[in-house]
Amino acid sequence: MSAEQTRKPVRTASRPRRDVPPAVTNALKLLGLLVVLLWCLFPFLWMAMTSLRTGSAALTDPNIFQGPFSFGNYEEVLGQGFHFALRNSLIVAAATTLICIPVASLAGYALARLPLAGKFALLAATLVATLFPPVALVNPLYQMYMRLNEWTGINLLNSYTGMVVPYVALTLPLSIFILATFFSGIPKEIEESAKVDGATPFQAFLKVVAPLAAPGVGAASILTFVYATNEFLLAFSFAPRDLNVQTVPVFVGTFERVGYENPIGQIMAASVLVSLPLIVFALILQRRIVAGLTSGAVKG
Amino acid sequence: MGRIFLAPSLGFMALLALFPVFYAVGLSLYNIRGFSRDLVGVANYVDVLTDPGFWNAAKNTLIFTVASVSLEFVVGMAFALIMHQAFVGRGLTRAVILVPWVIPTAVAAQVWRYMFDHNPGFVNWVLGADINWLRDPAWSMVGIISADVWKTAPFVALLLLAGLQTIPRDYYEAAKVDGAGALQRFWSITLPLLRPAIVVALLFRTVDALRMFDFAYVFSGYSNSLATLSVYAQRFLVAEPRLGYANALSTVTFVIVMLVGLAFISRMGRHMVGDVGRKERR
Repeated sequence: MSAEQTRKPVRTASRPRRDVPPAVTNALKLLGLLVVLLWCLFPFLWMAMTSLRTGSAALTDPNIFQGPFSFGNYEEVLGQGFHFALRNSLIVAAATTLICIPVASLAGYALARLPLAGKFALLAATLVATLFPPVALVNPLYQMYMRLNEWTGINLLNSYTGMVVPYVALTLPLSIFILATFFSGIPKEIEESAKVDGATPFQAFLKVVAPLAAPGVGAASILTFVYATNEFLLAFSFAPRDLNVQTVPVFVGTFERVGYENPIGQIMAASVLVSLPLIVFALILQRRIVAGLTSGAVKG
Repeated sequence: MGRIFLAPSLGFMALLALFPVFYAVGLSLYNIRGFSRDLVGVANYVDVLTDPGFWNAAKNTLIFTVASVSLEFVVGMAFALIMHQAFVGRGLTRAVILVPWVIPTAVAAQVWRYMFDHNPGFVNWVLGADINWLRDPAWSMVGIISADVWKTAPFVALLLLAGLQTIPRDYYEAAKVDGAGALQRFWSITLPLLRPAIVVALLFRTVDALRMFDFAYVFSGYSNSLATLSVYAQRFLVAEPRLGYANALSTVTFVIVMLVGLAFISRMGRHMVGDVGRKERR
């Protein structure tokens, strides 16, 4: 199905139906939605309540509404440098997005628009590349980084670059695919009239196509950013401990027990601190995210 | 011109994805200890195939993938149908459904791990049970499957909802007039017309489950009870450095994941890719 066909039914779906269903059906539908909402939010509620609980009750009493409550866990986890992990994640995710999206835009545009031999094979290869398992990079990249260090003295282990570079490689295929889909949905006539007016292909891309493709670029950027904030395996393998570069998933995922102390409250405080901004981010940008996530799914 | 536009992307992927895969194959033919390397041919692969740890990881990965993907499909389908039916509060739900998706997996894994932990024992309290979830391998597997289903069933729901919205309402009205029941309408209209969305959702989820690392590692570290193929391959990098062997393991994992993915794509890739090609010709 083409993009027009996929867009149209969305409109019909949101149109209120003429026959008003009885109150029982309505109540059941609302109940269904409540189940979905509860499913999505209850672990977050548990996380937030647990992060506020302190003292021995927090470790023994499963009732999350049982106090005493305080911000002590937050102070402790920030004392351990969690704000550095937040900063590192932000830097790594932003750098990944800023490199990936321009590079992917060029490729997506070429695949959607420019004359190319073997275009079908290239698109198929892009799709296949989205399946790439990151674990296949861990061991060889580690060795490549060691070699690079031996030869040039550049150390990519425990560095931002050592994470950003493979993240770009891993996020490129999906970004290219999303962008090619969006670019090919832009009417070709607009672009051709720019060329008639004397624009080069590059100018046509930059001045005409790129602004029209902004929604697609936005969607691909968000998905890339979220991928980079989520990535654990490579970050854990290449930058496991150094707080100067350690990202949030590694900080939270490898939080060590100190002696017999149960760090549950501190881990949950860290989890809240990273989840809150991400949730606000997702809620604000939800339209773009849904468009990006479903761009490949509704065709057929 | 097209080649110039493609060059940066292809260069990046060739240097940082394609080359490492071949480099890993090369390294996997050696026995690497510290600075010494001995060419041992396929001995590492023989070791992989005769290593009970590898087969245990393969078994864990298979159980996790089959269980989590099928549960995610059932729950995701139910959620998609609920959201498709509702007209009050659908916007809100579609926004909130992104919450599990956006929380980093390692963070979600810690949250679920401590919900299951028998101290303070939240899950036991809710279920009225007394299970040591984190010590017992079978129950830990139930734990990471629940956590994964929580996190990704909403994602499946989003993909399926997008598919549902492309099915014209008239089909249902016509079927209703002809006297088809709700279940019959689901089987003979919804499922067949939703097939492309279902295949894409299953593809993404299956491949993601096969390469899963975060939940298993956060729940039980390198312990055999939950170790997946990714955890097992990563273990021989730093925790117990055996780099030749580690590369053989990651190569085998790579081949498994790509073969499963290709099996899916060969069934539906032509449709997805064809769309871009078709519009280009128009």
